[in-house]
Amino acid sequence: MNIDLSRRGFLKLAGAGVAATSLGAMGFGEAEAAEQAHVRAFKLASTTEVRNTCTYCSVACGILIYSKGDVAAGEKAEVVHIEGDADHPTNRGTLCPKGAALKDTVLSETRLTVPRIRRPGSDRFEETSWEEALDKIARALKDDRDANMVQTNDAGVPVNRWTSTGFLAASATTNETAWLTYKVVRSMGIVGFDNQARV
Amino acid sequence: MDAMTSTLKPDPSMIGGVPKLPLARLPDPEGLFITRAERFEFLALHSPNLAPYLRFLGAVAHAQAELARELPSSAPIPEERIALARANRMPPLDRNAMRDGLSEVLDRLCEKLATVEMPEPARLALRALQAAEASDRDWVIGNVLTDAIPGDSVAPHLFAAAALQVHAAMMASGLHVEQMVPIKTGICPACGGRPATTMVTENMGAEGARYCACATCQTLWNEVRVKCTCCGSTKGITYRSVETEEASVKAEICRECGHWVKILYQNKNPTLEPIADDVASLGLDLMMRDTEWTRGGFNPFLVGY
Repeated sequence: MNIDLSRRGFLKLAGAGVAATSLGAMGFGEAEAAEQAHVRAFKLASTTEVRNTCTYCSVACGILIYSKGDVAAGEKAEVVHIEGDADHPTNRGTLCPKGAALKDTVLSETRLTVPRIRRPGSDRFEETSWEEALDKIARALKDDRDANMVQTNDAGVPVNRWTSTGFLAASATTNETAWLTYKVVRSMGIVGFDNQARV
Repeated sequence: MDAMTSTLKPDPSMIGGVPKLPLARLPDPEGLFITRAERFEFLALHSPNLAPYLRFLGAVAHAQAELARELPSSAPIPEERIALARANRMPPLDRNAMRDGLSEVLDRLCEKLATVEMPEPARLALRALQAAEASDRDWVIGNVLTDAIPGDSVAPHLFAAAALQVHAAMMASGLHVEQMVPIKTGICPACGGRPATTMVTENMGAEGARYCACATCQTLWNEVRVKCTCCGSTKGITYRSVETEEASVKAEICRECGHWVKILYQNKNPTLEPIADDVASLGLDLMMRDTEWTRGGFNPFLVGY
């Protein structure tokens, strides 16, 4: 710390002149040392707070997710609390009862985290791979579209309607995702389509 | 908040439960310093290690409250100054214009503190400040007005900063929130000062909102949560607390700029006070000192951590 020479007289009178903390400079150094010794036995606990969007409906409320642990520091994070984001212009911190119960959805034991299938004749679901799941979905869509696609109406005008399959896309998407979803679904001819689902 | 209590006229925004957050909450100087003094005294009872310092600062806060009561209320800020500040996103209070007023407040604070019990180094600094030549006093006053406390003379500056808190809070109390504009992340919209701590509040209409506590004029101003109040980044924010994740005082860390600022969860403990609890949670500062991050909160009672 540079000492301003022109202030030497004042600093000397004020008992100053060396860099010190507030407690040290004011004569409370013992208190600081005692506190330092006291905290030596403790460790720092890490938590994180993260913004997200509620997954439920098209209102897309802002939420704050509180976790124990800091993933960026190589720790495992565990969601401990979810509340409305007071800074979000849509909900200003409020949540509906479903949104307020989001933590239980995240931590639910019955939460679906992998694709599952109940095969014909079976009485139970079994886990499957994304590969198989997507293949089966694609097969079912293709078969249904081939069987039921309406290419022209009674007057012979091309319409390319596929009315036997519906599509429901979730909320919490960006405009770009919503645009892409719309393009993919409509270009297949699907009529029954709702993006940003009101579930 | 006022709309709920001061008028019988229904306020649809309160019924709807989604009121707009006020930009700032201006200080009520006398009440604020009394609350702070009481909080310091309470904390002293529960923190045996820091009790001597907390009791001393409690006495300072008492003297500040007395000053706030005795001093005449400051002249309103001229309309032109407010218009100029709004147009250019500057704080309406001009720090440089506080010089003369501050000198008088400092004299009176030193007189009041003459009878307060304090260790010898503090006493020396107080006497030196009272006996200081004009140029030395100007130097100290200039430093606290620019929030720049030299590390080699923290003690005399503590008293000058305490005087500035009273003077600036009295000036801020005369402002009108609706005339204020946000300036920049981490800059007080009233006096341009820096926050000591930030708080998650639970006041009606501001539940869960974060307010920064100006270390100088004591104004509280709204700031988005999970955002660094030093650099404005929202990336890489994480929190540390002493021993438990449930703590009501945490360090909000920014990995972008490497600073951390204390965040006080008033929604967990409504009695938390932005300056008193900053000092009383010195343990967190001492532990954070061993990390790679630097304290970003400015508090003239906690210099050097």
